[in-house]
Amino acid sequence: MLCSVFVYPLPAFSTLHQPTMRLPRTLHLATLVALAAAAPAFAQSRGSGVNIPFERMTLPNGLEVILSPDHTVPQVAVNVWYHVGSKNEVPGRTGFAHMFEHVMFTGSGHVPYGMHDRLTEGVGGTNNGSTSNDRTNYYEIVPANYLESALWLESDRMGFLLDKLDEAKFKAQRDIVQNERRQGTDNQPYGRANEIVTTALYPEANPYSWPIVGYLSDLQKAGVDDVKEFFRTYYAPSNATIAIVGDFQPKQAKAWVTKYFGDLKRGAAISRPKVPAVTLTAEKRLVFEDRVQIPRLYIAWPSVGDDKDDVYALQFLVQILSGPRTARLTKALVYDLQSAANVGASNRGYENSGVFGISITPRPGHSLAEVEATSDSIITRLKQEGPTAEELAKTSAGLEFGFVSLLQSNLGKADVLNDGLVFHGDAARFKRDYAKLKAVSAADVKRVANKYLGAGRVVLSVVPLGKADQASMASRSTKVTVAPDGGHYIMGDK
Amino acid sequence: MIARSLHPGARLALALSIALLSIAPQLSAQTLERDKAPKVGKAPSLKVPAWTKTKLANGAELIVVEKHDLPLVALNIDFIGGASNYEPADKLGVAALAAQMLSEGTKTKTADRLSDAQQMLGTSIFANVAGESGTIRFTSLKDKFEPAMTLLADMLLNSTFPDSAIERNRARTLVGLTQAKDQPNSIAANVFSKVVYGDEHPYGRVVSEKTVTAITRGDVTSFANAYFRPGRAVITVTGDIDAKTARNVVEKTLAAWPAGGERPTFAYGPVPAPKARTIYLIDKPKAAQSVFALGEPGPPRSTPDYYAIQVMNHLLGGMFQSRLNHDIREVKGYSYGVNSGFAYGRGPGAFRAGGGIVSAKSDSALIGFMTHFKGVQGEMPFTDDELTVGKESLIQSLPGRFATVNGIAAAISSIYTQDLPETYFKDYAAKIDAVTRDDLVRAAKKYIDVDHMNLVIVGDRASIEGALKATGIAPIQILDVEGRPVLVP
Repeated sequence: MLCSVFVYPLPAFSTLHQPTMRLPRTLHLATLVALAAAAPAFAQSRGSGVNIPFERMTLPNGLEVILSPDHTVPQVAVNVWYHVGSKNEVPGRTGFAHMFEHVMFTGSGHVPYGMHDRLTEGVGGTNNGSTSNDRTNYYEIVPANYLESALWLESDRMGFLLDKLDEAKFKAQRDIVQNERRQGTDNQPYGRANEIVTTALYPEANPYSWPIVGYLSDLQKAGVDDVKEFFRTYYAPSNATIAIVGDFQPKQAKAWVTKYFGDLKRGAAISRPKVPAVTLTAEKRLVFEDRVQIPRLYIAWPSVGDDKDDVYALQFLVQILSGPRTARLTKALVYDLQSAANVGASNRGYENSGVFGISITPRPGHSLAEVEATSDSIITRLKQEGPTAEELAKTSAGLEFGFVSLLQSNLGKADVLNDGLVFHGDAARFKRDYAKLKAVSAADVKRVANKYLGAGRVVLSVVPLGKADQASMASRSTKVTVAPDGGHYIMGDK
Repeated sequence: MIARSLHPGARLALALSIALLSIAPQLSAQTLERDKAPKVGKAPSLKVPAWTKTKLANGAELIVVEKHDLPLVALNIDFIGGASNYEPADKLGVAALAAQMLSEGTKTKTADRLSDAQQMLGTSIFANVAGESGTIRFTSLKDKFEPAMTLLADMLLNSTFPDSAIERNRARTLVGLTQAKDQPNSIAANVFSKVVYGDEHPYGRVVSEKTVTAITRGDVTSFANAYFRPGRAVITVTGDIDAKTARNVVEKTLAAWPAGGERPTFAYGPVPAPKARTIYLIDKPKAAQSVFALGEPGPPRSTPDYYAIQVMNHLLGGMFQSRLNHDIREVKGYSYGVNSGFAYGRGPGAFRAGGGIVSAKSDSALIGFMTHFKGVQGEMPFTDDELTVGKESLIQSLPGRFATVNGIAAAISSIYTQDLPETYFKDYAAKIDAVTRDDLVRAAKKYIDVDHMNLVIVGDRASIEGALKATGIAPIQILDVEGRPVLVP
């Protein structure tokens, strides 16, 4: 999946150094650009060196295995993806997939708590997990002589998590996840904007409508029985892929994978949530008062997910609008008119849905209404004229470098291979992505701009407390508040 | 339906799984003992990349590290010394502004053309000046190295520093400073610097609206002209290029860069005398978390205790399963993550511990931090297993620093920018391995001064002040977001 995240500009000031933590890791916009590949153009200059060579194996229980040796440094990455994410939750129980991810680090049948870290960071490696809307992953990067250990660890929690499920450990993780939400969302200036936009953009029942991290009131509801049911439903080898990338011998790795995962039981068939296409017939205008001094504007449109080829042209549209100083919105707002301090655009492409978003931080003396009008005029012009040949060439030029850079990371390669296999049934999907990106034309970009950046959209003004009048078109904007229990957002009186 | 069965590759998968079935009985014939962690083979030996070091005619040092597996080249120009050494106290921010201005146009190229040219090369040239060093750098495909280097040279040698661009960058910086005052982590970091180092020491100076507003165009150009000089530059070329070609390209593109530029002595004035342990509370009404920044001035990077401190801190608050994170996050559930670290630096960089703590547990967490500070000083002796883990974790993570061209460049150039012995990486394992349990306790006692610790906490005063006071750990002083005392009504 060519999943990117909203890249909202944040002040570039130092923050406290955080230790290795279980933070969600998603494929960033840069990775998307990077998701290039086995580019025919590139093949000329370096032959097979810029491919991701790999082989595959499937165990009888359904576990899919990808093996890609790279002997650059004596380390190996083991990266397990389960095809389950926040999308598989239900309203009222949001955040569970991510909370479950944390439980996977509390020990399993034959692995006492702490052993996992002992055999990874304790020997010079690292480990982490992350949850997206569509998938959950777990990885270890270890010295090459610890590959078998990593496979043992992963197989044990895939097969035997429930054997020693510890209630106290579970409850601690439930608290930790709430702290993760406080740290990443509630205690951050503008931290709720993304959630509000998402809530407004999707119908309530749509599985992309709630935040991955979940609402506080939902997180408090989860119990041990929920963990058991979730594990039995989603954590089976038949719902997992494992990519091994780094310094190892494939023959040996295959024998170990078979040894440790071979006797785990296949899971029952999984019913996947239906995701209807999202359309907004009219504009939704919102205002949210936050503990900020400088307001910010967010505009978002429903787009498409990575199951649709329009994502490629949408990705070009992102690059043409924001980023380098000559990108259209950046140039107009930050450099020519100087009405904004920062501008960001992104297309979040999920497995089967997408959101195209823009955020603009105005400079003092310039209103949200002013920067919205400027942004609209720039987009209208792009929709009429399409991009220039030079704009396409600049975007395209970055693809090759992005992909080759990605090849330096064993973990990055493992993510790309898993992504293709889990969401498209093809670990070599990156080749198609690259070819499709290289083939994007001016007409494609013009077409997707007109198709997706229409009148049906969400416009959110985040303003200082008590300054709802600073909203863009304040009189037409519905006030958003946080429900007293922290469970959801209240739009106007609803 | 299982999604996998939808995959076009399903047929191949089926064929493979049949093939595997035939070998499965052999393997399952052995009883798998899952209770025991697998035996581990021999640890891989460390391979430190080799490099060459020469001097250019203008005095810049040139390091070349070859890595030929991918067609990438990283170019770093590191400047020794930075804002702490060269910024006038009333013009803080001029160093970063000078670096930004290198992207604002040259005698022959507008800023837009410079940007477009970089985009066409699939690269981006980044410049910044931090506290004790500066950098201009890019990474590119091998065949784009020379044209990118040509652009960099133009920026370095021919920038025009237009007035309008200085005003724009100043205005954007001011917006960032305002936003930082809403950001609890930024507030904690800034107030911590001020409380620990005071206004006089360069480490205590924090860029403010006042200093940014005072900067003139003349300040920017003089800073840039004096600072970006070869005498303090270490140029590192890393990747798919040979030493001779690298030198030729660098010499050719930087031929017009005149000699000059001294390296700073890094002789700073003294840090403020230690003050009695105090809680400095900055009010953030209704904050969901309290952000902790606890610490004091630490030793410079050149300390002979470096290795002992590294192992000690790794166990105290460096690793995920460090004492602090294990207890305060994993066992108690008060936080999403806490840590500790030594900043080192060429001067007395800070020891600092902290993290985001759920407001209601601010007092308990503070007690926990203090317990562990005293613990590593001897009250909770280090176990043999801890010592083993601390050492092996540090030693075996070293190869990971050499995986990417940027990682290698950072590692090798640090030898010269931080004035380390050239054998630093080769000797690393032996030096870490020589650390004893007594060394850990000695380092903890010497470099963690519990009695004079500055306890900066940004949080909801109304709900946490009473509980913090009740811990009896220290008296409380209320500060504003700039670190100035707030008169208690």
